[in-house]
This record gives sequence, C-alpha cells and structure tokens, in this order.
Amino acid sequence: MTKSLEFRGIGKSFPGVRALDNVSFRAEGGKVLALLGENGAGKSTLLKIMSGDLKADEGEVLLNGKKVEFPGPREAIEAGISVIYQERQLIPSMSVMENIFAGALPKTKLGLFDKRRLYNEATEIIRKFGLDIDPLEPVGQLNIAHQQMVEIMKAYRRNSDIIAFDEPTAPLTEKEIKILFELILKLKEEGKVVIYVSHRLAEIFQVTDEIVVLKDGKFVKTLKTSETTEAELIKAMVGRDIGDTYANLKRNDNIGDVVLEVDKLSNLVLKDVSFKLRRGEILGFAGLVGAGRTEVARAIFGVDPITSGEIRLEGKPVSFKNPGEAIRAGIALAPEDRKYEGLVMFRSIKDNVVMPVIDTLNKGIFVDKNELTKLANKAVEKYSIKTPTIDKKTSELSGGNQQKVILGRWTNEKMVTKVLILDEPTKGIDVGAKAEIYQTVCDLARQGIAVIYISSELTEVINLADNIVVMRRGRVTGIVPREEATEEKVLALAMRD
Amino acid sequence: MIKEAETLRKESFYRKYIRPIITHKVFSLVIILLALVVLFSIWSAAQGKQFFKASTLRNILNSIVLTSFLTIGAGMLLIAGDMDLSQAAVGAFGGIVLAASIVYWKLPWFVGIIICLLLCGVLGAINAIMVTRYRFPSFIATLAMMSMAKGLMYIFSTIGKGSDVASNIAVNNPYLNFIGKGTIGPVPFGIIVMLVFFLVYGILLTKTKIGLKIMLMGGNKAAANLAGINSKKILFALFVNASVLAGVAGIFSTGRLGQGSLLALQTNQFSGLTAAILGGISFGGGSGGMGGAFVGLLILNTFQIGMGVVGVNPYWVNVFSGVILLIALATDFISRRRLRSV
Repeated sequence: MTKSLEFRGIGKSFPGVRALDNVSFRAEGGKVLALLGENGAGKSTLLKIMSGDLKADEGEVLLNGKKVEFPGPREAIEAGISVIYQERQLIPSMSVMENIFAGALPKTKLGLFDKRRLYNEATEIIRKFGLDIDPLEPVGQLNIAHQQMVEIMKAYRRNSDIIAFDEPTAPLTEKEIKILFELILKLKEEGKVVIYVSHRLAEIFQVTDEIVVLKDGKFVKTLKTSETTEAELIKAMVGRDIGDTYANLKRNDNIGDVVLEVDKLSNLVLKDVSFKLRRGEILGFAGLVGAGRTEVARAIFGVDPITSGEIRLEGKPVSFKNPGEAIRAGIALAPEDRKYEGLVMFRSIKDNVVMPVIDTLNKGIFVDKNELTKLANKAVEKYSIKTPTIDKKTSELSGGNQQKVILGRWTNEKMVTKVLILDEPTKGIDVGAKAEIYQTVCDLARQGIAVIYISSELTEVINLADNIVVMRRGRVTGIVPREEATEEKVLALAMRD
Repeated sequence: MIKEAETLRKESFYRKYIRPIITHKVFSLVIILLALVVLFSIWSAAQGKQFFKASTLRNILNSIVLTSFLTIGAGMLLIAGDMDLSQAAVGAFGGIVLAASIVYWKLPWFVGIIICLLLCGVLGAINAIMVTRYRFPSFIATLAMMSMAKGLMYIFSTIGKGSDVASNIAVNNPYLNFIGKGTIGPVPFGIIVMLVFFLVYGILLTKTKIGLKIMLMGGNKAAANLAGINSKKILFALFVNASVLAGVAGIFSTGRLGQGSLLALQTNQFSGLTAAILGGISFGGGSGGMGGAFVGLLILNTFQIGMGVVGVNPYWVNVFSGVILLIALATDFISRRRLRSV
C-alpha cells in the first residue's frame, strides 16, 4: 500500500485571524509535493498542525487512510511524521550520532547506553546518505547545511513515512542545495511522502512533482509541476479581490523634497541598498521573509552596524550609534514585534507614549506628571485609542490599539519625527483596525512625515505606498511606482533568482 | 438625586484615597508585618515574656541598617532587570580599606571614607563594564567580582602593616564610633541615615526621569532601547551605585564593630536580596519600589528577632529565612505568569 497523508476540511483560527479555512488535499508516497503561498497564506500553520504543535479547529488528518489526532509533537513523531523546520531542533553540544538517535538511544543488556552500537548504526546511516560527517563531532560545530543533514537523518532513522521541509534551502549554498535535493530524491525513491515548503519557484520546478497553492488560508488548487508555468503559479498565489478599503483612503498628493537618502548601504545582511524618501511620501518595502527589509530599518535607526555606504538626512550624512541619536535627529521606528520590541507591556499607556521624550519634559530631573498626562491624553484623542484611562496597561489593549499607542509615541508633540519607519504595522490586527491604521498612515503623510512602510502583505503595500522598494536576499531588486505596481510584478521581483 | 451625588462622592473618596492604599502591594506587606508582630507578641506572652517594647522596635530597625544599603542597591538593579552578587564582598573590602587608611596609612577619617567609596565605585564600574560592554551574564560577572573583592580585601588589610598576614584592623576613631554607635536624641545615627536613603531612592524611582527610565527598561529592555533609552548607561550607573552603597554598608560595619573585619557583612548578601524580592521587586525587573524593600527588610528581621525572643533554635531561623525567600520567589513567578497570560 502506498503511503499517504490527507487533509480534509482543515480550519484554524487565531484571535483576529482566520489562518486556515477548509483546506483539503492529499499527498502521496513516492512523490514530492510543494506547498506554495505568500507570507501568511497558512503554510506554517498547516505544518504545525501536521507536527502536532497546533490543533486544528475543524477537519481531520488522515495518515495512510486512517484518521489520526496528535495531542503533541511526540505522538506525531511516533506516528511517523517528521517536520524539519528552519530553526534546527538539535542539541548543539551533543554528537552527531546522539542527535540522530535522540530519544531512542540503543541500550546494552544492562540498560546502559550502547555507545559502540550507536556509533556503528549512525555510521551506517551516514554512509547510506553518502555524507562526510564524523558521528562523534558535536552538532554545534557543523556548518548549517550539515546540521540540516543531521536533522534529515534523524527523521530517516525514526523511519518516518512523512517528511516535511520548511524553507530548507534558505541558509544553504548552491552546492549544499544540490546535496539536499539528492537526499530528497532518495527519500522519494523509498516511497516516502515528501512535503516541500518554499518560496523559490526555481527549486519547486526542480524537485517537486505536484504543487498545492494556498492563499489567505484557503486552498486554491493542485497543479502538476510538469504541466504548469511560473506565471501560472504566481497568478494562483496572488489573484484576490481588493475591497473598497483602499479606494476610500484620503491620500497625500503633495510629495515634497528628498528627506532621507540611502546610498549603497551594506552590512552583514544588506548589499548596496539605495533609495530615496521624500517628504509626505509613503515608501513601501516588499519582499519575502528574510529579504532584509527589517534590517534596512535597523541599520538606518542605529541598531545594527553599517559596514559601507551612506545615509543622508536632509542632505547631511548621518550615522547613528544608537536609536537615541536617530530619534533626536527625527527618525522613528515602530518595530515588527509589538510585544517584545515595541511596548513595555506591563506599563501604562502614559509611560509608553512618553518613552522617547522623557528627557525633554519640563521640571529638570523630575517628571512633570501633568505634562505626561497631557501628552498621553492627546495621543489617545488623536488616534481614538479605545481605553477608559491612560493608566491602563498596554498589555490589556487590543492589537490595533497597541499599534496606535506606538504611533502616538512617535508623533507626540515633543517629537520632531521627519521619517517614520513602520515594520509590519498591521500584523496580527483584525480587518477593521487595519483600515484605520491605513488612514492614519495616510494622514501622517499628509502632515509631511515621510513614511517607510514595511509589509509582507502585498495588497497592502501596493495599494498604500507611493513607491515600492522590492528586496530579495539583502538587495534591492527593483523600485516600482504605484501606477505600475501589480502583485505579479512585485512578487516576481521578490522571488526571481 | 441628592442621595446619588452623596454615594458618588463617597465612592470617589474611596476610589481616590482608600482603594489605592489597599490595592498597593506595600499594603499587603504591612499586613504581613503586623501579623508577624501579633504572632510573636502572643507567642512570647504565652511564655511569660514581652515581645513588643520600644527597644524591640529599635533593635529591629538597628539590625536592618547594614543590610538596607545592600537592599537598596540590589533593588535598584533588580528593578532594571539585573543583579549583583558581589555587594557584600565589595562592602567588606570597603570596610577594610577605611580601617587601613586610618590605622596603617594615618589618613584623616573623612579621607578614608572617600577612598573607601571611590575604590568600591571602581569595583562597581568593573562589574558594569563586564556586563554592559563584554556582555557577561551579570550572575557570572559579579560572582567573579565577589571572589576578586574578597582577595583584594585580604591584600589591602596588609598594605602598610609590615606583615603579610591578613587580619582584622582595630580602629578607634571618635567620628567612626559616632557613625557606628552614636545617636541623635534617642535615635541611632545609622537608622536616620538609612531612612534618608530609602526616602531619597524612593523619590528617585517614582518622581524622577531617571527613575521612570529604570522602570521602563526593567519592564522591557529591547523596547526601551528602541525608544531611545540608553539602557547601557543606566545599567552602568546602577552597578556603580550598588557598589558604592555596599561601601556605605562597609563604613557602618567598621564603625559598629570598632574594627575593619575580614568577616564583615558575610550574611547580609543573602538577606539583602531576599528583602528586595520579598518587598515585591521582581526578578524579571520593571516592578517594585523602595517602600516594599523597606517593609520586606522589616518582615525578614522581625521574623529573625522574633524567633530569637521566643527561643527557637537559631539554626532553624536560617532554614525559615530560606523558606521565606522561596515563598517570595514563588509568588513573584506566579504573578508574572499571570501578567504574561493577559
């Protein structure tokens, strides 16, 4: 009997987000199935349901025709499902052989663990895969590609019938990718079900047999790799309705002089990033996860070091040693992770609003409570933050209101914000609140603030931004004005090798 | 209508004055303290002894003076999200430096105090550099400093002595004697200094800009940094502050004992940290205050002295102090988990 994994009507919701909605498809043994979709299409959620990390709200999973349900990852592994994530799940200080056999170390008659047998069996597997790895070497000392191989061997040793890869080639070089593909073909020949998640179209054509396309948590279609084209795939990933949300926005049509000029900026992640930002402009940044958009923001803001290139603010070269300097020069950053980098969750709205301007408040070394209250009340009023009092902890606010607190922080009257960088400002925010944020961003642009708008949601960037910088692997692959921007065009720039 | 206004006014009086007090964390600590006092009063009365006398109060206050300076320093650091294990060792080093500078180096008493505080500050700066620049975990950096400060203490106790054998340094200086044992009216000088310090640091924490920054960076260091708060600079100051306060404890220790003792402050490191945590200063940073730390100290020492009065074997007192710390830590973790799940 051939092995198979089938999803029937899988649904999963998170607060404010419908991550998966009635997804059904079937993966068969002896074939490699690609899972394709934009950021947020639901690929990761699906993998997590498969591996027992998450439970589906609706629907069922059938393994070899039988319905299965996993209370946790352990049960999924025992049932024969291995998911190999981007983040390694290895123990760096332990040897290769111990990692391959983690959880099932062979034992001697006395119940002690049998090092000799462990060595022999590990060597056997490594030889089978045709790799040059010392079974005794600590995993932490291997390069990333070999660590990944160890993870694959671990899945192989478990005798998993189903092996899924989440963006496996992201950290690998060309040569290492070749080795990986050979391994995948080997697994396929052994009749295993291989599920391959990747953004890279070229690879999908190279290694997969079937492609399942997801969009906004919904199943779009299954395609045979040999019968489809790149253009068809992109269209399947993108084609969606755009509501009236964007049509009704009051935009700024008065774009001024250049405020910020980034010229051949490079560091560990970035390569020759150049762009110009004008007064009142919304400059969108599109690209896939890991394309380097956040890193551009961090480099400008003085968080990450710059190795070469120049940043000019209103014509003058600047280089900020820390965010404080950037803030005083008029740059503000609302980071992607509101909870861990944006807000001090257990402090009040009041404290969070005044954070960057504490030093400029009245009364010398003391805090002027009245002034603080005034600033916070203005922010609450300006952005209509829904809260009974400014003393409420930000952890008790909804995602949309939390984002407004951050906007309130960067635009309070003590700030001289010229450039506002928003990194994924609508992430995890429900649809209604998103529309509010869009209008707020447009309003800020109308006030003359230059906005950098980083988002993984293509529709959002295309409809909101005046110009769109598209990045891939730390480089700018194109700058597209709104009139010319289509999702196909931007996505192609973001994905093409 | 009138009745409504009446209840509204009553309610607002309650909301404005009563509720903030009873919902304040320090309030529950004071209740615990009073409960302890009642417990020991009844217990000792049952034995025909009297627990609560004016002298008991003075004894308790007097017994927390040395620890209080460590608690303030440790508390400020904990609120900012860090800690210092070397305080007691640094303080003992400072006490020896003070005694040596008066006895061996023949310096005036106030110069001795300045040198003591300066050198302690330098050790604190080394802690700070290890943690902020070289990113050692503060647990490890200050543990190393604990050993280094101990070694330096032995070395400094021999400088100018004419012998290589480290020993306590007896010092009989009228000014130091006053610092250690003198009183202003009926109140010991040490208690007054302690109360002033608690007041000053309490105001610093709740009313000043730097205090607000400390609370915010303790609540979320990454967010504070991205909002332009220079957390490295603040942390540096707090490490130096903790060590200088340890030096103050060392000065009081030398004054009280009439000697720079190689064993000074040995038990105070533990109780200093315990009191801070007991007083609601969280290991995770970002919460707590000086009022809580003060009451925390009182609870700890009332407990210890009370146990002595009712005649519990003193070895048990150590065991119970450990249990109290565990309870304090457990409530800290539970309340933080509850906050996180919000």
